[in-house]
Amino acid sequence: MKYLRFLFASLLGAFAASSLSAADLKVIANPSVGVSSVSVEDLKGVFLATKMSLGDGSHVEPVLEKDGPVHEAFVKEFLGKTDAALQTYYRSLVFTGKASMPKTLGADADIVAYVAKTKGAIGYVGSGATIVGVKTLEVK
Amino acid sequence: MRTKIIVLAVALSSAPGLLHAQFDFRVDNRDVQVHSFVSQGFAYSNENNYMTMDTSAGSFAMTDGAANISSQITDNLRVGAQVYVRNIGEIGKWHPELDWALVDYKLRDWLGFRAGKVKTVLGLHNDTQDMEFLQTWALMPQSIYPSDLRSSTIAHVGGDIYGDIRAKKLGTFSYTVYAGQRPQDPFGGYVLGLAAIGLNMSSYGGWQEGQDLRWKTPVTGLVLGASLMNQHITGGGSLTLSTAVDPFLIDMSVPDHSQEREHSLKDDYYQYYVQYARGGLQLEGEYRREYRNEWVGYYTSAMQPEFNFLVESNSLSWYGSAAYRVTKWLELGTYSSWFVFDSRQDWSLPTNHVRDEAVTARFDLNLHWDLKVEGHFVNGYGRFDSLRGFYEEDNPQGLRPSTTMLVVRTGFNL
Repeated sequence: MKYLRFLFASLLGAFAASSLSAADLKVIANPSVGVSSVSVEDLKGVFLATKMSLGDGSHVEPVLEKDGPVHEAFVKEFLGKTDAALQTYYRSLVFTGKASMPKTLGADADIVAYVAKTKGAIGYVGSGATIVGVKTLEVK
Repeated sequence: MRTKIIVLAVALSSAPGLLHAQFDFRVDNRDVQVHSFVSQGFAYSNENNYMTMDTSAGSFAMTDGAANISSQITDNLRVGAQVYVRNIGEIGKWHPELDWALVDYKLRDWLGFRAGKVKTVLGLHNDTQDMEFLQTWALMPQSIYPSDLRSSTIAHVGGDIYGDIRAKKLGTFSYTVYAGQRPQDPFGGYVLGLAAIGLNMSSYGGWQEGQDLRWKTPVTGLVLGASLMNQHITGGGSLTLSTAVDPFLIDMSVPDHSQEREHSLKDDYYQYYVQYARGGLQLEGEYRREYRNEWVGYYTSAMQPEFNFLVESNSLSWYGSAAYRVTKWLELGTYSSWFVFDSRQDWSLPTNHVRDEAVTARFDLNLHWDLKVEGHFVNGYGRFDSLRGFYEEDNPQGLRPSTTMLVVRTGFNL
């Protein structure tokens, strides 16, 4: 019985964590990033380390959240992966020498602060997060 | 050996305390990352001993690990290196090796260059087959990713040209073209397998070149691809027929204490693959054809030719797998893996095939620590030179046609 309750709670938790959508988050970038909008495919390329620059040619660097509903929603909606699959993907690059682990931070405020001070940085935060010193990118 | 297991067990038990410490530092204002992994396995089989381990009595001789360091020097330039060590029964024998060491310059998204010792892109998982934490399985499908023949495809000392090409509504095409020297592996399965016929190999390696093209299709999660590799292998050794457990060369009347030399006339791999990953579901299938034609000659100690013949095989390998992540901490999976040594011969002969049906439960205890419990139902055992886990010298009672095996494996990665 205890096992069934635990299993149910796990499934419920998994469902709750993924219930945010793309509308519940914002993609932000350092002011040095020359574009004001980005396609889903370009965003995916940046966060899967296959794309180094956006339309203006300047180098971009992805910044991820460690976990939480905003992270889960971003990874699912824009990268088409689960967090477990994304971690597996990054580790496959790291352990074959093809890329470094991207910067990962714990909370919206930390993401905003890092993106604001780091040239080329692109991240994502909840739609209600306070954003200072960064620009919001429209995702088309 | 026992000391090594105790040291590893102590290290593994203290690892949870270290798991939150990501080892990054800065040198000259550049980030330097250090990552590592270690895994420990246990295998128990009901019949044949497997992969040079004493699995019929239960064996813990299944350990590997690696550590790497890398840095993004400029926006376009990366450098890094990884050391790998393994001991699987008699394979690897704890000899550390340089797994990869490279300079990677990415000029554009569609054009990059790697040089050094580079992991070879061949199929879905060739370059990542060692990293158990990246896979559902405790043992990769051995038809395509044989642990004992890892060194035949794992890396090359040379270079790659690679890139990703966006094709708008058609998705993305990723390509890799490479060439280089295949490293020697004196502690690998091929050398151990040939010992069964009394042949002591002292060298086996050569040039390889290849290409891989994978298509991330417009269908979310669907990837299709094809790889081709050509090898030009040379090798040499000496005969001690008194140590042979397989009469292959004795039956051919090859003189004892001869010197052996061999080179490939053709050694081609053709591999095709498909992967579909959506949500917690992952489906994969791969098919490989290896066509091998090798000239083998025997000489006196004064290098006078005595005898030569051709070894030709047309091997087929394939597997299909399904895995589903039930929860954050539990993934279930199964695969069916087939290897046919020579497709021109009777497929039903146990010497000509190895078929493996596996079921797996993977437990992710946290982000860095996993545990797998896996059952294998194996039919067939191949030949002394097809390998894939079965060695005559480790099964003095003779190889039985079926093997049932339990594999438990745990790993840490940082």
